[in-house]
Amino acid sequence: MTALLRYQAVLLLRSHRWLPPLLFHVAVVAVGVRPGEPVLDSFGWAAAGLLPVAAWLVRVCVTNEPPSARDCAAAVAGPWRVHLAGVLTGLLAAVLLGAATTAVVAAIGDPRSADHRVGVPLGTAALAGLVTSLVCALLGTAVGALCNRPLLRSTAWAVPGTLLVAFAALLTAGSPARAAVTGLVTGSHSGTAQVPWGALALAACCAAGATAVACAASGRRG
Amino acid sequence: MRLMGVGRRYGLGGPWVLRDVDLDVPAGALLRIEGANGSGKSTLLRLIAGIDVPSAGRVTDRPRTAYVPERFPPALPFTAVGYLTAMGRVHGLGRAAAARAAREWLERFGAGHHARTRLAELSKGTSQKVAVAQGLLAAPGLLVLDEAWTGLDPASRTVLDGAVADRVAAGGTVVFVDHDPRRLAAAADAVHRVEAGRLRQVETAAARSGPLVRIEAEGAAGAVLPQGLPGGPVAETAAAPGDGERPLLRLSVGAAHSDALLTALLTARPPWHIRTLTTEQGTTEHATTGKGLHR
Repeated sequence: MTALLRYQAVLLLRSHRWLPPLLFHVAVVAVGVRPGEPVLDSFGWAAAGLLPVAAWLVRVCVTNEPPSARDCAAAVAGPWRVHLAGVLTGLLAAVLLGAATTAVVAAIGDPRSADHRVGVPLGTAALAGLVTSLVCALLGTAVGALCNRPLLRSTAWAVPGTLLVAFAALLTAGSPARAAVTGLVTGSHSGTAQVPWGALALAACCAAGATAVACAASGRRG
Repeated sequence: MRLMGVGRRYGLGGPWVLRDVDLDVPAGALLRIEGANGSGKSTLLRLIAGIDVPSAGRVTDRPRTAYVPERFPPALPFTAVGYLTAMGRVHGLGRAAAARAAREWLERFGAGHHARTRLAELSKGTSQKVAVAQGLLAAPGLLVLDEAWTGLDPASRTVLDGAVADRVAAGGTVVFVDHDPRRLAAAADAVHRVEAGRLRQVETAAARSGPLVRIEAEGAAGAVLPQGLPGGPVAETAAAPGDGERPLLRLSVGAAHSDALLTALLTARPPWHIRTLTTEQGTTEHATTGKGLHR
């Protein structure tokens, strides 16, 4: 599994297909995050933007290999392991991106409430921001796993499907991503940072379930 | 390794590409799969290699497997040696062993000078050498070759023939499809044919090796030899029948199958009359030299 992950990671890095989602994320963060703005609001915005980016990165990773090369790897390691390695590589890239963004926001944001009156402890705020971006990365991974090969094989369905479901996952009531982001924004009003552990657990379950379904289908639907 | 009642169809409720495939794949065997274009050979190979999961039935005891596709156009951002090393590591080799095996196999196929060439820049034939090297470099327990010879130059085909023989001699199993019927013909332990979504054995090593039993059988007027006789006997006409005369055939079969073959002939409708029965010791070249290849 380690060898497969390394192989997928090198594939992702050298294919340069991470560049468009990265630029998209940078653009989203640049639009919504300014130096000196309340740090919790900025964390919320950056994490929300990460969800579609994570889904995109997972799509990149599970479609990165030409079919013949994928067949060779699947014969060695089993199709589900090959698929799992792809999904995990996408998740890992999204988590790295989320961590980097959290660090940048923590450095340039103002550690105070939305009206700049109440101070917010930066450590707790940064942890809340990091966990929220993790929640969004996990939920984005679930979306990417469900809306791409092997479950949706045609690009005509997979790309709009990924986009629509990603935004639905961000906006639907009951979604852990929405709960975590809302928690940051409301916390910013009162100047209190709550780490969304519950949402993290729920998002992890969603990601694990979706990935399991996709991996189980990988040997059946080609 | 065994396939039990294996079937495969694409999509829910789609037509069955393969059905009720029962196949024993013993260790150290060389199996050839044949069949017309689109008959399901590649589907069967993908099931054997574990790339696809059967829609029905199951596959048990599959050893560590490698697969070589017919076409390998890799738009992968790796050099030849980089890709092979990565695949060697997926096979479980250490970093140094994987890199060494990658170089060795490229050398053996005469592509050593392309080790540092990016895969996207390789010619079609050299890409195929990389695909074949990928299948061989970690000495897999099961090697599945889907027309792997296609696109290789004659020298590399010979190297691949030899590598297949080495794999089998080392106790590995090789299952292959090739459009050239002479490919490894002397070494194949069994030949199976995919036809109308089913698999049937058309020839066994028993028919060619070990003690042979020769049977002279006379059929009823106009009778033809029944299909699917046990042991896959080799039949030749001893005396060409004239119009309305009884055909006389000379059948050769491995001794292990002779009783079953005799029963089948005697109980056929109309039954065949057995004229003579002789036993010969290891007459064929294959039997005297074991599993070696004859080139």
